[in-house]
Parts: sequence; C-alpha cells; structure tokens
Amino acid sequence: MSSAQLEIQLIASIVAVACAIPGTFLVLRKMAMISDAISHSILPGIVVGFFITQDLNSPLLILLAALTGVITVALVERIQKTGLVKEDTAIGLVFPVLFSIGVIMIAKNANDVHLDIDAVLLGELAFAPFDRLTVGGTDIGPKSLWVIGTILLITIALLIAFFKELKVSTFDAGLSASLGFSPIIIHYGLMTVASVTTVGAFDAVGAILVVALMIAPAACAYLLTTDLKKMLGLAIFFGVFSAIAGYWVAHWLDASIAGSITTTLGVVFFIIYLFAPSKGLIAVTYREKQQRIEVSLLTFLLHLKNHSEERERHVNHLNEHINWQKVRSKTVLDLALKNNMILINNSIVSLTEKGDAFTSQAINYIVTNEDAQIEDMKEDFFLFRG
Amino acid sequence: MDDNMKESNASTAFAVKVDDLTVAYNYKPVLWDIDLEIPEGVLMAIVGPNGAGKSTLIKAILGILKPIAGSVSIYGKPYKKQRSLVAYVPQKGSVDWDFPTIALDVVMMGTYGSLGWIKRPGAKEKKAALEALEKVGMLPFKNRQISQLSGGQQQRIFLARALVQDASIYFMDEPFQGVDATTEIAIINILKELRKEGKTVVVVHHDLQTVPEYFDWVTFLNVKKIATGPVKDIFNDDNLTKTYGINYKVSVQK
Amino acid sequence: MNLQEYFSLVFSDYTLRTITLGTAILGAVTGMLGSFAVLRKQSLLGDAISHAALPGIALAFLITGAKDSNTLLLGALVSGLIGTFWIRGIISKTHLKSDTALGLILSLFFGFGMLLLTFIQKQPNANQAGLDKYLFGQAATLVESDVWLMAIVTGICVVVMLLFWKEFKLLLFDADYTKTLGFNTKFIDILITTFIVLAIVLGLQTVGVVLMSAMLLAPAAAARQWTNSLSKMVLLAAIFGAFSGVFGTAISASQNNLSTGPVIVIVASVFVVFSFIFSPSRGLLFRQIRFINNRRDLELQKTLSFMYRIAETHDDISHPHAIKILNNFQGFTKKTLQKLVNKNYVTIDGTMWSLTEEGFETAANLYNQNFKADV
Repeated sequence: MSSAQLEIQLIASIVAVACAIPGTFLVLRKMAMISDAISHSILPGIVVGFFITQDLNSPLLILLAALTGVITVALVERIQKTGLVKEDTAIGLVFPVLFSIGVIMIAKNANDVHLDIDAVLLGELAFAPFDRLTVGGTDIGPKSLWVIGTILLITIALLIAFFKELKVSTFDAGLSASLGFSPIIIHYGLMTVASVTTVGAFDAVGAILVVALMIAPAACAYLLTTDLKKMLGLAIFFGVFSAIAGYWVAHWLDASIAGSITTTLGVVFFIIYLFAPSKGLIAVTYREKQQRIEVSLLTFLLHLKNHSEERERHVNHLNEHINWQKVRSKTVLDLALKNNMILINNSIVSLTEKGDAFTSQAINYIVTNEDAQIEDMKEDFFLFRG
Repeated sequence: MDDNMKESNASTAFAVKVDDLTVAYNYKPVLWDIDLEIPEGVLMAIVGPNGAGKSTLIKAILGILKPIAGSVSIYGKPYKKQRSLVAYVPQKGSVDWDFPTIALDVVMMGTYGSLGWIKRPGAKEKKAALEALEKVGMLPFKNRQISQLSGGQQQRIFLARALVQDASIYFMDEPFQGVDATTEIAIINILKELRKEGKTVVVVHHDLQTVPEYFDWVTFLNVKKIATGPVKDIFNDDNLTKTYGINYKVSVQK
Repeated sequence: MNLQEYFSLVFSDYTLRTITLGTAILGAVTGMLGSFAVLRKQSLLGDAISHAALPGIALAFLITGAKDSNTLLLGALVSGLIGTFWIRGIISKTHLKSDTALGLILSLFFGFGMLLLTFIQKQPNANQAGLDKYLFGQAATLVESDVWLMAIVTGICVVVMLLFWKEFKLLLFDADYTKTLGFNTKFIDILITTFIVLAIVLGLQTVGVVLMSAMLLAPAAAARQWTNSLSKMVLLAAIFGAFSGVFGTAISASQNNLSTGPVIVIVASVFVVFSFIFSPSRGLLFRQIRFINNRRDLELQKTLSFMYRIAETHDDISHPHAIKILNNFQGFTKKTLQKLVNKNYVTIDGTMWSLTEEGFETAANLYNQNFKADV
C-alpha cells in the first residue's frame, strides 16, 4: 500500500465520520431529504467562491458554499410558510433551481473555472493526495485532509458541547423550548454543520454521494439500536467500514471510488435491512406472523370466556364466525391444546382452569391498555414460542 | 351477554351485526372480540376514551382496515355485497382541504360508488348533489373552493356527500369535531330526520353531555365492548365508570 | 445560432423540429402527471425515482451493449420501479421514515449507477459515448423515434387518465372513502405510480437524472396557483410544462455548452415564481394588497358604525355632531373621514359632521354584512 493509497483511505474515513454525525441527527429528525437539497444547492456557492478564491479548499469558499446551504433551508421554510405548496414540494422546487444555476455558471465560464461536472457529482478522491499543503516549505499532507479534518474536529467539539441540547430537541422539541434551548437555534446550527460538512466532503465524494454518507450509515444504525450514543457509534463504524472497503472495491474494479463507497454502503444497508435482529425485514415478518398467531389465540380464548353457549364454542364455529381460514384455526386450536389452555369434548371447546386464569389476566391488561404487561405475561406462561 | 340478544341472532332485523371482531394495528391489538348488533332505525353513539378504538371499529366495519378475526354483516349479508347500503363520513381532518376542487364536486363524489368504474356522473347525479347541498344548507356555497369553507361548512359538505349515497346505514367519525354551534344543531337535525326515515346512523362521539339529548342508542367501547343498548337504559354512571376508569364522574341528565 | 434564428428555423429544420416537439411533449406529460404527484404529497418521490433509474441504464448497456435509447429506457424503467417499491417496503416494514427511505434509495442507487458508469468508461472496447447525457440531459440527441415513443406513451397516458379521471380524483382527495365506495384503491394507486415512473424515465434523455424531479413539480406547483379545479390544474400544468420544454430547448440550443436539463428547470422555475407572486387568488402580491385593503375597509366600517351608534340616539339621523368626539375613537383619521364623505355617507359642515340617509342604511346593514358576504 503506497502512502497515496493510505492518504485516500484516511480522507475517505474522516469524511465518513464527519458525515455520519450530522446524518444521525438528520435521520432522527426526519429531515434526511434536506441533506439531499443542501448537497445540490451548495453548487452555486461553490462556483461563486471559486471565482473569488480560485481554490476549492479555501475556507472562504467553504463558508460561502455553506451559506448557500443554510439559505436553501431558510428558503424552503419561507416557501412553506406561504402555504402555496406543501413542504416536500418546497424542497423539491428549491434545490434543482439552485443546482441548475450552478451548472449553468460552470458551463458559461468553462474556460475560467476548472470545475468539471463529473467532479461535482463524483468528487476526485483519487487526486486528493496530489494537492499538498505546504507550510514554510515543508509538506504536511494533502490539503483536503486538513480541510475535512478541521471540519470533523469542529463537529466533534460542537457535538460534545451541545449533546444534551441536541438530544432533547431531537426527541422533544416542546420540552426543549420549555427548558430554554431554542429549537430554532439548534435547528439552524445543525443545518450549518450539515452544510459545512457537505461542502468539505463534496471535494472528496461529490455533491450527491455526500447524501449517501449522511443517511445510509445512520439508517443502518437506526435499524440496530435506538440509543442515541450507540447509534452515533454504529453510524461512524458503518461509514468508516464502507469507506475503506469501498476504496478497495474501486481499486479492484478500476472504477470511481465514491461510486463504490456508496455501493458498499448500499450492500451494508441491504444486509442490515434484511437481517437486523429485531427491526430487519426477516425479523419483522417473522414477528408479525408470530404475533398474528398470538393475537388469534388470545382472541380465541377471550371468545370462549365471553360465550357460555355451546353453539358459540363448537370447533366449527372458528371457521364460520371468527372468519378464519381453516389452516389458521387449526394452528390456534393446536397451540391452545398444547399449552393446556383448552379442553375439547365432543367438538365443544372449553377453557381449562389455567386457560381461564390466563384469559382473565389478559382481559384485565387489555382493558387497562397495558400492552407492556401482556408481553411479560406471555413469558410467564411459556406460551407462544413453543 | 344476555340471552335475549342471542335469540335474535339469526334474524336479519339488525342493520349491522359485528361478530367476534378483533383488529390490531401493527399487530398491537386495538379492538378485542367485539360482538355488536345495531338494530335498524337507531341513532347510535359510540363513546369511549381516546385510544379506545372507536374510529377503528367503524373503519374495520367498512373494510378500510383488515381485521385479524371476525366478520361483519349488513342486513344479514356480508358487507362486500351490501356496500351500496352503507355511507361513510370520515373525520374532517383526514383529507387535504387545499385540494383543487369545489364543494359541489366533493358532494358529487358520493355518487361515484353507484356509478362504478369509468362511467362519468351526469345530470341526474348533479341534481342529487344539489339536493343534498340544499339539505345541509350549503347550496349558496356550491362553487366555493373547499379550503375557503369554515370547519363547520366543510363538515356539512362531507355530510352532504354521504347523503347523496342514499344509503340505509350511515357511519360518521366525529362529525361534531371542531364545528360551530349552528352546524352542530343543523347536523343533529339531519341525523334525526334520517332516523325518522328509518335509516340507521352510527356516530363516533366525544361529548358525553350531549349523548342523552342527541342519541337513542349508545355503545360503550374501550378496546372491548363494555355495553350497548338504549340510552335511557344503559347510559349510567356504572357503564361510564367501566368505560372511562374509576375516577370518572359525569352528571348525567336523565 | 441566436434565439431568433432558432424560432425561424424551428419549423423548417428537421433536427430542431424533432427536438422542440420532443421537449414540448415531455413537458406536457410530466406536468400532467406531476400534478398527481404534488397532490399526493409525493413530490420528492420523483427525485428518488429518477436517481434510481441510473443503474438501470448502465446495466442495460452492460448487458446488451446496445446504445439505442429504447433498450436503455427499459432498463431505467425496471430499476426505477424497483427503487419505488423498495422505498415502500422500507417505509412499511421498518421504522425508518419516508424521508430516510427516499434519501437512501436516491443516493445508494445513484452511487451504484455512477460506479457502473465509471466502470463502463474504463472498458477498452465499449462504445460508451452518450451515457453521460443521462446525467443532465441533451435534447440534441433526440431522434424521431424517441419523439414517437414519447408521443405514444403520452397518448396512452392521456387516454387512461380520461378513462379513470373520476377514480383518480377520488383517490387523490380521499383514499379511505374511495375504498368504502368499493373501488380497488391498490389498482388505481399502481396505475398512477406506474405512469409517474414512466414519465420520469421518458424524460431522462432530455432533462437528465439529476434534475428530472423539477420537471414534475414546477409546472404543477405553478398551475396550482391559478385554478381551483383539478382538470384545469392538470391542463395548465401540461401547458406550462410544454412551454418550459420549448423555451428551455430554444435557449440551450442557441448557446454553446449548455445542457438542456438545467435550462428547462430554470425556465420552469420562472413560471413558478411568477405564479407565486402574481396569481390573482393565491399570489403573494394580491394577498398583500387584499390584506391592506381589508384593513382599510375595516377602519372605515368601524368609524361608520361608531357614527351610526351616535346618530341612532337622535330622531333625526342627519343631526350634526362635532368632529371632536370622533377623535377618541381608535381607527379614526382625517383620511377615513374624507373617504366617507367621498362615498356620500357623511357630510361635513365646518367642524360638524352628519350621516346621510345612505350612510345610515349602509351602517345599519354592516351588522349582517359578514353573513351577506358569504352568500
């Protein structure tokens, strides 16, 4: 591994971490699409900044472009307030326009601006190690490493300083306001960090793929935990893992590094989407099936308790009145029998003592709306998992 | 359940018969083993605390939600075959009132069910819609954009849309939510008129104070059915306490 | 070529005619279907779908090696539909919210597409030129068969829309109610969604993946401001879309180096801004004017009814009163008094005022004014 390769992986990893932190909050605040809007609309800011500074890594350019990002957010909110269109339409209207302006500005000044549209969309991570920062004649590393590193340090400092405020305002904006932290300041603070990070990362992975690095690791983490700190940690882990793995995929395929980082993220997300222990597709589908049987069994027991008449308790009644398919009623009946909840006598079903006690308890919990206790109860009776 | 009720089980005198209905949202149970018979020609309130499953019950009866277990019959036949006999007034907040359409158009939607696929409403449907608008006192507003109507007026438009369906059974989800006093009186008068014509009206209702005044039949619901029957017989402290919890006190005007 | 030359050539020159016709049809069909997307609050779905179509184009090229646009668009359609249904799957089966699902599919599919595109570019034998046009769109690459395809799809779309107009409208307004009337809402829903995906895919060659969503939203958002009828809104959106397409193409054709997509988007957004400001019923300008007028009217009415209450106490309604007593009343100014005089409601004699017959009646009517205004 050459030092250039090492530097690329280092830059990609730092970008991933810097994106994952604001990304986690964006996902939790249901504002993921705002990051998409910002990533597009910073383009005119970058072009104008480039005219002025002639340097993609200049702090002034980063600030100018980040300002465009914040303006986008403000503009979207302003349009929403007029009530002329809905919120999502406002987002969808603003960013393509700003992006178009940026593209046209680049096209019209193609001779002066050494900005390539492909670079805007994809970044030029492979060339990042060649743009060195020198201080007093000594080479201290690639410029973009310093830029994104500084952004990351600021982000981490802000995260530590305002962790409590961010947490409260994310989960309960009303409470946050009553505690005295203005949700608006935190909102715009977060938007500013997201914008600055997007601009900083744009050089490496391109405008649109920043979105992937913000949303996908956070979404993966959200499928695995609901604890905010763990979620941040996991998001950072997935981001860094995909960055490094993606680099080697690109190396092997001889294709875009940013593209393969995103593709790796996609594969990671797909795996987690399928296999996440309690929130993944397979777990959810299995649980739904399980719960369907559990609910059916409880319904059935409740029905038996409610009705003393024999007609209502005939085995065939399950098919007729409760309106279940044959297979399901048989599953439920077998399950109840196996757990000694019911007795079947001449095709008439009746509750056993155990079944009766269980059902009474269940009714009690259901009526008082204490679902959590029903969960405990199931374990008491070792009932449903067998 | 008393045996009197059971006797008439097989007969079709009931407008609506709900049998062992269990509904769950994301497999979290909301309604448990509901048996409910609604006689023809009553004006019935469904009452219960928030989260008791009142709207869910209506939606499950109308097939908007798929129940886990149980069946619903309308005049003795499965609901699917009797759709034309049933009209629905959803909660006012369930739609986007900024939708580009006028009051008359919304009321015309009530005729779409009987028209079926593809066929367009014609003069006959328009006439029916205008009559319904007249009945709810909204004829002068027929060309208004729906967002420019007040909450009460929007509710009346929804009521008119159901009236156009010319059904035998009306299900209404909180029709008195956020309406002015005049509209509330206008609506209840129309409901009473419907009852006079022998129609059955089922209303999800919030305001317990007005139950004895507005309705003649009531169902107490809190996840499971607590009681159902004539208001004068069962609207009492005992059932209210069972439904709303131990500390509930309400002065019931008999 | 400048704009004038463009318009003088547009009817005679084959290429220009093809391109212009193509963008006009495209604008019309996206405007039409965009109205549905906007009203269903699925504005950002278009963005996700268009990005999700990119890997389909690249894969179709890799598998078939074909450059003809129909094969590539078929790939785009398949991958766009996969993206759409995956978004739904994520929303319904996990606790991720719709914005996260949209952003995920959008960025992940797009990233995968870019990986494939760069991979294709590095293939030594591949005749890959032209795939780039799907990023920002090049109307100049449209040929007659492309335009025919657009016209046919648009035709089918219009026929289906006319056939199921009633059902579409019902579903858009009130989905639950649609179910109770016995309509199969899933079928209507799939029909609408499929057509939206189809329109997006058709536009990729002209407008490009990145900006396609604006073609759906902008004409519809502009049209919504001018009318309160769904049919007029759809029609207007189609017209706005067609004009954006034509003007955008004209401008980009008359300049060097300009992709069509960004220019069409800018033109469409001009329609939006214009509509937001100048629409008579909803626009911001008239809303502000109405607001100021209402406040003035209110001041005038208040003053008049104050005078009415004073005049009421006398048998003779035209009994003169001192102007001084009005000074305590909030909302009274010399200007409002002058206006009342101009309207012939009040006469002034030196420092005294008196109500005219007309003014008295108007003031008496003011109480049920609100009710009357409603009728």
